[in-house]
Amino acid sequence: MIRIIYQREKCIGCNACTEASKFRWRLSRKDGKSILIDSIKKRNFHIAIAGDDEWEANKTAAENCPVKIIKLEKV
Amino acid sequence: MEIMAPAGSYESLMAAIQAGANSIYFGVEQLNMRTRSSNNFTIDDLKKISSICKEHNVKSYLTLNTIVYDHDISLMKNIVDAVKQNEIDAIIASDHAVMNYAKKNGVKIHISTQSNVTNIDTVEFYAEYADVMVLARELTLSQTSALVSAIKKRHIKGPSGELVRIEIFAHGALCMAISGKCYLSLHSNNASANRGACIQNCRKSYIVTDKEDGVELEIDNEYIMSAKDLCTIDFLDKINETGISILKIEGRGRSADYVYNVTKCYREAVDSLNDKTYTKEKINDWKDRLATVYNRGFWDGYYLGKKIGEWSNEYGSQATKRKVYVGKGVKYYEEAGVAEFLIESQTLQNGDEIIITGPTTGFIQTIIDEMRIKDKAAAKAVKGENITFLLNNKIRPSDKLYKIVAS
Repeated sequence: MIRIIYQREKCIGCNACTEASKFRWRLSRKDGKSILIDSIKKRNFHIAIAGDDEWEANKTAAENCPVKIIKLEKV
Repeated sequence: MEIMAPAGSYESLMAAIQAGANSIYFGVEQLNMRTRSSNNFTIDDLKKISSICKEHNVKSYLTLNTIVYDHDISLMKNIVDAVKQNEIDAIIASDHAVMNYAKKNGVKIHISTQSNVTNIDTVEFYAEYADVMVLARELTLSQTSALVSAIKKRHIKGPSGELVRIEIFAHGALCMAISGKCYLSLHSNNASANRGACIQNCRKSYIVTDKEDGVELEIDNEYIMSAKDLCTIDFLDKINETGISILKIEGRGRSADYVYNVTKCYREAVDSLNDKTYTKEKINDWKDRLATVYNRGFWDGYYLGKKIGEWSNEYGSQATKRKVYVGKGVKYYEEAGVAEFLIESQTLQNGDEIIITGPTTGFIQTIIDEMRIKDKAAAKAVKGENITFLLNNKIRPSDKLYKIVAS
């Protein structure tokens, strides 16, 4: 399993993560920032637990994020 | 000529007002060109900013000038609606979707330098939308002057029915690419300058290596892409003659002391042009003062038509002075006119030049002459001590105290 941690407040809505994984990320039509699908919010962090098969795509998302607010962990 | 100053925070906003700006500009949320570097405001701040500006009779403009994607449209509309509701004077736009929506909703528009207005037919095109246009920063003064004359000759009027007014950048950082249209940052870090996320690759030093033999090219100045900062204070008379209406100061990522100093110098310079006391001595004084705050060395940009190639030869600022944090505000005793601060780092001595900045206080610069600790005269204060001294301006617990030292 993997844990995806996302600091949504700092998102600039550039679309990089959604291009990496449409399955896990989508852009809000409301405020233009990215949404981490199926995540829970803890303080300022949005956290999602996903299967190992999502590692590669989300690693790309984290690497491509221009403001570096996506972190990945193995759990 | 009006002076438009940058406000990346409440501190800078107050500093700009105190220094005599006619108008200020600021960004909210992620749709402005300083999304990364500035402590951006949110939509909720519009009300307060608007009321502060109205109280001080200063116009307020909101920058909404990044590239806009489909998923940004709702946010963009919300921002424009909030601009209207809170009576912000205009938005600074570069994307046509923004112009279209603002126009339909009766919000005034300024055309951003990101739209790269470089000819009179483009001015005519945008005149349907805007009364004020910021020219591309790469035009010379003679090109600028010709544009302003052509506006008069062709009676190009904006939506208000008045002739279109032209604004140009007067001071601050310049981009090595055509006004922000740069992909360096995107290539290296996937961070688009055109979404306000520039990581400023151009400001670093580089070595050029021949791939075939691995020989490194020796380049006199390693900062081959870092343009010096624009400074026009020594030829403001020539700028005035072009007939432009507004001087814009760059720097929403800059601190309150920078905004105060730069705005004040340009305020004095424009005033002296108006009363015909614009002299060489004054210019030298302003240039010295401008050099005390953050700068990469100065050049005159593209205005005088000289060959390009004024590159900075150092990383970061070449300011002659810098500020170091000393402590924070505690209380102001109104009746006595005494300010109390807590020293949190460094030391402070009588005779030290200090600055105080804060969201409501703005910017204060003075020299400490009679400092007191526990109501006794003291020559020096160290970390942990509370000091008091006479001050005409009110200070607040949200204020920060700095001392100025030579760089």
